[in-house]
Amino acid sequence: MREDDIIICRCEDVTLGTIRELIRQGYTTLEEIKRIARCGMGPCQGKTCTPLIAREIAAITGKDIHEIMKQNHRPPFGGITFEEIVSGRDEE
Amino acid sequence: MRIKEHPILEFERGKKIQFTFNGNVIEAYEGETIAAALHAAGIWHYNNSDVLKRPRGLFCAIGHCSSCLMTVDGVPNTRICVTDAVDGMVVKSENRGDAK
Amino acid sequence: MILEYDAAIIGGGPAGICAAIAAGKNGLKTLLIEERDFLGGQLIKQTHRFFGSEEEHAGTRGIHIADDLKAELVGLSNIDVMTSTTALGYYEDGILTALHDEKMVKIKPKSMVLATGAFERFLPFENNDLPGIFGAGAVQTLMNIYGIKPADKVLMIGSGNIGLIVSYQLIQAGVQVIGVVEAASKIGGYLVHASKLRRLGVPIMTRHTIKKAIGTDKVQGALLCQLDENWQEIEGSQKQVACDAICLAVGLTPLADILSQMGCETTFIGELGGIVPKRTADLETTKPGVFVAGDLAGIEEASAAMLEGELAGLNAVKFVTGDERVNERIHHLKGELHGLRAGPVGEKIRYGLAQLFEDSVITSEKIDSHEHDITQLAHTGIPAWENIDEKMPDEQRMIKPYAVIECFQEIPCNPCVFSCPFDAIYIPKEDINLSPVVNFDKCTGCLSCISGCPGLAIFVEQRNPEQGKGTVSIPFEMLNRPQKGDVVDLLARDGHKLGTGIVTRILYGQKQDKTAVITVETDIELVNKVRNIQLQGTDKKGVM
Repeated sequence: MREDDIIICRCEDVTLGTIRELIRQGYTTLEEIKRIARCGMGPCQGKTCTPLIAREIAAITGKDIHEIMKQNHRPPFGGITFEEIVSGRDEE
Repeated sequence: MRIKEHPILEFERGKKIQFTFNGNVIEAYEGETIAAALHAAGIWHYNNSDVLKRPRGLFCAIGHCSSCLMTVDGVPNTRICVTDAVDGMVVKSENRGDAK
Repeated sequence: MILEYDAAIIGGGPAGICAAIAAGKNGLKTLLIEERDFLGGQLIKQTHRFFGSEEEHAGTRGIHIADDLKAELVGLSNIDVMTSTTALGYYEDGILTALHDEKMVKIKPKSMVLATGAFERFLPFENNDLPGIFGAGAVQTLMNIYGIKPADKVLMIGSGNIGLIVSYQLIQAGVQVIGVVEAASKIGGYLVHASKLRRLGVPIMTRHTIKKAIGTDKVQGALLCQLDENWQEIEGSQKQVACDAICLAVGLTPLADILSQMGCETTFIGELGGIVPKRTADLETTKPGVFVAGDLAGIEEASAAMLEGELAGLNAVKFVTGDERVNERIHHLKGELHGLRAGPVGEKIRYGLAQLFEDSVITSEKIDSHEHDITQLAHTGIPAWENIDEKMPDEQRMIKPYAVIECFQEIPCNPCVFSCPFDAIYIPKEDINLSPVVNFDKCTGCLSCISGCPGLAIFVEQRNPEQGKGTVSIPFEMLNRPQKGDVVDLLARDGHKLGTGIVTRILYGQKQDKTAVITVETDIELVNKVRNIQLQGTDKKGVM
């Protein structure tokens, strides 16, 4: 299996090989992996990659998936331009 | 390719319109998304990914996966799978990694 | 300006619309927010008839349910609908922000129903990002909303209901489905859907997975392999297939990011699809007045989503007004939901819910199907002869027309009972999960039940031993519909050609709603074997 041809995060182009290497190096939380590899920080905001990364962390470290999947979400959930934010203020 | 005959559904297509994709004229019907019109024209390869330069195309078609981002009438990062085609629109692939 | 509402509903799919209707009908000033420029969510792609209870839209195609719900919504003047609007965030002071008409708007709701739905899972395999690999929802969007043929030859990954239904819909759109690949040892979705595919000649390969997509800038094929009991590749089992698209139907995950941001407690429950909100049986999250419904609350069928939507909407009414009059309906809806989940196919959801409600009536108890041994059916999509024999009348009765209901798996569904004008079909103990039984003393073989069965699992046969002939009537909803008098190929339950027959009768009126009932005459020994027909020369089977 060519881990470097298996894409985990489509937005930021992160492969299974990279994720596994990071976990082996000791980065075993979603937050750490996000900060190093950027997965979850692209325009889809982690919708596709998060469950896959969590599964890898669980498989390699034996951690409980409930523990791994604890993460914070912050607004906004989708893309918004500064112009759109500013134009909303005009109404007040 | 557009479906002409379907055993269950009837497709009411809007007015015929045109837009350009990377300079090529694409025919569409009003009410279709840009992605739907490109698919009907046989265009599946949208861009190359940012870092690894891997070919990418449509994936989720409901605005979640971000694989279909393009510059539409000058607005970058537009999700073409949820953006309707408009007559005269200018749609361009984004190869964002190239700019880095 | 801050927009004030009694209830804000986020998500205009089946759950959200039903929540809005329930809230609006009971006098709440209601706002329904939908990201897309149309309402209906995934319902508007569903061309198949829905399973479930007759009183909750079962037997009706999803697209028509969507139209009915939208019509009801429009009739309620105290509901405002904002389409093309994305919820962006929720803040401590109870303000919800949304992007509407290129502006950020602020909303202050007294109660909320979150019904954001789910998104499709992705699967790790080599070249899994190649153009031509689509989510099942994308394929449905292209073909069923925009009328665009998604591809010519599709490989389906996943045999859950979505994989099976989308495969069938692909064939209806004129696409060849080369096969369905399933990693588990059993077919995941309703087995009637699997049987529909098998009789169209589509192979379902259980204990198989995709290793690699082949192609440089577009899918040209796939490399498959067989899996052993421990989900490991069996050496030497690799097989290359040619296709121009690979469709992923490997499950859904709740779209829950809004929940944790709002301060609603969440928990990971694999059986419900991933991170789900902690919530009561009344669908209230840990934040008072904030309710959830539909796939966000746990991945389930759309029939459950609609019930949950109404339940959440009514509880929002109770929260805002204190009106106890909604209690009766709330109690009823809970009963309906309980019924949908009570059978063997509801086991996963029961197990998931049992982890949410510690002291609930919901039991995670395993309920085995005691009626029939359906092992062969579950592995192949083709029922064993013992299963079929149980559904047959005795030999003397066969000279008059009789209905054969090839519905063996216990699933929550009952439209057939209501379709019979002679009360000849009943479900034992009125348990919606048990499979229907035909009373052959009452059945006249009138063909009324055939087109309304969501599983297309009802056939009518008649045998004439003196002439060595017989007839079989089958449901048909493909292109190239035969006409009366045509000589057609007769296909078996696995899609192989049995011989030819002559079309003697076609029912294709308003009542059939595009599911034609076609009667063919053939040799007596083929009557119980024929389950599909095709015009000669239109062969388009799966090839794997």
